[in-house]
Amino acid sequence: MAEVTLDKITKVYPNGFQAVTDLSLELKDGEFLVLVGPSGCGKSTALRMIAGLEQITNGDLMLGGQRVNETAPKDRDIAMVFQNYALYPQMTVAENIGFPLRLRKMSKADRRIKVEEAAEVLELTEQLDKLPANLSGGQRQRVAMGRAIVRQPSLFLMDEPLSNLDAKLRVQMRADIAGIQRDLGVTTFYVTHDQVEAMTMGDRVAVIKDGLLQQVASPESLYDNPDNVFVAAFIGSPSMNLYEAQVSEGNGQLVVQLGDQTLGLDNRALDIRPALRNYLDRPVVVGIRPEDMEDAAVATDHPADHRLTATVAVREALGAETLMHFGLSATQVESGDPDALDELGDDEASRCTARFSPQSRAKPGDEIQINVDTIKMHFFDPSTHEAIRS
Amino acid sequence: MDRKTFAGFTVTSVFIMFALMVFPLVTTIYLSFNRILLRDVGIAEWIGFGNYTEVLSDPDFWAAFRLTILYVAVVVPVQIILGFAVANLLDRVVRGRGLYMAALLLPFIVTPVVGTLLVRDLFDRGGLLAWLWELATDEAFVITGSNIKWVLISHGVWATAPFAVITFFAGMQTLPGERVEAAEMDGAGFWAKQRFVVIPHLKSLLIFVLLISIMDAYRVFDSSFVFGQSVGQAANTLMVYNFDVAFNAQLGRVGKGNAIAVITVIGMFIVLIPFLIKSYREQIAER
Repeated sequence: MAEVTLDKITKVYPNGFQAVTDLSLELKDGEFLVLVGPSGCGKSTALRMIAGLEQITNGDLMLGGQRVNETAPKDRDIAMVFQNYALYPQMTVAENIGFPLRLRKMSKADRRIKVEEAAEVLELTEQLDKLPANLSGGQRQRVAMGRAIVRQPSLFLMDEPLSNLDAKLRVQMRADIAGIQRDLGVTTFYVTHDQVEAMTMGDRVAVIKDGLLQQVASPESLYDNPDNVFVAAFIGSPSMNLYEAQVSEGNGQLVVQLGDQTLGLDNRALDIRPALRNYLDRPVVVGIRPEDMEDAAVATDHPADHRLTATVAVREALGAETLMHFGLSATQVESGDPDALDELGDDEASRCTARFSPQSRAKPGDEIQINVDTIKMHFFDPSTHEAIRS
Repeated sequence: MDRKTFAGFTVTSVFIMFALMVFPLVTTIYLSFNRILLRDVGIAEWIGFGNYTEVLSDPDFWAAFRLTILYVAVVVPVQIILGFAVANLLDRVVRGRGLYMAALLLPFIVTPVVGTLLVRDLFDRGGLLAWLWELATDEAFVITGSNIKWVLISHGVWATAPFAVITFFAGMQTLPGERVEAAEMDGAGFWAKQRFVVIPHLKSLLIFVLLISIMDAYRVFDSSFVFGQSVGQAANTLMVYNFDVAFNAQLGRVGKGNAIAVITVIGMFIVLIPFLIKSYREQIAER
C-alpha cells in the first residue's frame, strides 16, 4: 500500500505535442481516484507515466515517498489492468493469474494457493484450466483483474478496463471492481472517459481536459459545485443546460434574463454566492441541471415567476423518469467537450433537456410551463468560464 | 459430408496431384531399379536393388551425406536464431526501417550463383573475410577441401537468414503492444518477455521457418556446385553428388541417379515425419 504523488507532471512527445501539463494529484493510501476526461485529453498518458511505460518530461512522480521517475515499470510494484485485457493467449487462466508470481520466483505450490484465492474472489475457480480464447469478455476482464490483485501491489492502475464490455456487464463489473478494491484496500488510479463510471466508482474524481486538470473532488461536490463550465457539462447525464444570460435586480427582486424570457431568482442565490453581485447587469453563463426542472402541471405549488415557457420537441419516457427536450430562445454556451454532440443546430432555439417525473403528460408540440429550482442554478463567468461563488 | 460429395470436391486436385507428383515419383522409383547410361538412355536393364547397394557402399555418397547433414544441422538453427535476433533489432528501429530491410533482403534478391560468387570473393585472396583471417592468424586464407564446409555453411546462413528475419519481423508487427507492456508490468525482463510473449506469439511462424529451412538446406545445390568448380568433390552435397552421378557427360548413370534421388526423399521423410504427424493431429483436433 502506498500513497502516490504527481507533482507538476508534464508530458511532451518528441513531435512537440504536449499531452499533459503540470498535472498535480495526490492519492491517499487506499484511495480510489478516477481520472476522467473526453477522448484525447491526456488521461491515458498520465496513467502510462505512472506505470513507467511513458517517460515523464517534467515533474516528479512519488510512490510511497520515493521518487520513481526513472524506475523501470517492473520495479515500481504497480499492477495494471489494460483496456484489451492483454492476457497471454498460450497460458491457462491459472497460469495467467500466476504469471507475476512466477516471475517473482514463487514456488509452484505457493503460487497455486495465491491463484486459487484470487480466483475465489473473482469467481473464476471453474475457469482456471481454460485458455483465454474460451472465455467470455467479462471472464477475461476478471482474469486481467486477477493478474493484478494476485501479487498485492502497492498501486493498481486501470486503463478503461470496462470499455470493451456490453452495457449490462459493465454495470455489474463496475460494482465488483469497486467492491474488490475496497476489500483489498489497494490505492487505485482508474482512467475512464465515462463520467458515470467516474461518479460511481471513485472516492474522488479528477476531471482533465486537453492535458490540464480541471477539478478534483468527491463525486458529490463535483456534481453540486463544478469549478467551471467544462466540469459542469461533463459531469452528469443528461448534461447541464448552459446559456448566456443576464442577472439583474429590480425592486429588491433578482431576475435572470434568459433569451426572451425572464426567470425570477431566489434571493438567497446572492447569499450562497456573494460574488454574483459583481455580475449584476452584466453577461453571465447560467447552468440548469435537467433534474432541477419539472413540469408545472405536475408540481403546482411552485412560485409562478420561477417558470419558463417552452414547446416540447421530443419526449423520452424512461419509466422512472421522463426526459423532455425543448427549444429555448437563449444562446447556448459550448462547454468545450470534444465528445459532446453538436446540439446547436437550430438557430432559432437552443436545445434544453429536462428530467421530469413520469407523471408528466406533456407531448411533443405542447407549450408547457416549466418549474425551475432556481436556488440550484449555477453561474459562471462568461469569459473565463469559472464558477461565480464567493 | 458424405463420401460422394467429398469425392466430387477433391477429384480434380487428386488428379492433378497424381499427374504432377505421384507419376514422376513412381517413374523415378521404377528407373532406380534399372541400369541406364546417359549416353545410351534408350536401353534399360532391370537390376533390382543393384543401384541401391552400389550407392550405399559408395564413400562419395557418405561424404556428401555427412556434409549435407552438417550443413542442415548448423545452417538451420543459426538461421533461425540469427533471424530472430535481427528481427528483434529491426523491430526497435524507428527511422529508416525500409533501408535496413532492403539491405537485408539483398542476399534474397541476387541469383544464387551470383550470391555464391559474392561470398566466394569474401573468402578469396584480397576478400574482406580472408583479409580479416590473415590479420587475426597471420596466415593466408585459402579455400581448401577441408575448410570448404564452413565456407558453404557461412554462405548458407548469409543466403537464408533474411527469409527468417522478414518472416519473424512480420510476425512481430502483429504482436499487440499491450501484451508486451502487460508482461513488463508483471515484472518480466527482456528474456522473460521473449520467452513468454514474443516466442509464443511467433510459434507457428517458427515452425514454418524451421520446416522450410530444413528442406531448403537439405536440398542445397547452387553454392555446392559453384564451389565445386574450385575445390572439386569436397564441396559435394547430396544434390550435387546426385547430379554428378546422373549427368556426367561420359559416365552419367541415370538409373543410379534415380536411386540416389529415392534415398534422398526417404531421408527427408524421416526428418519430416514428426511434423507431419503433429500437423495431422492438429487438423483432426480442429474438426
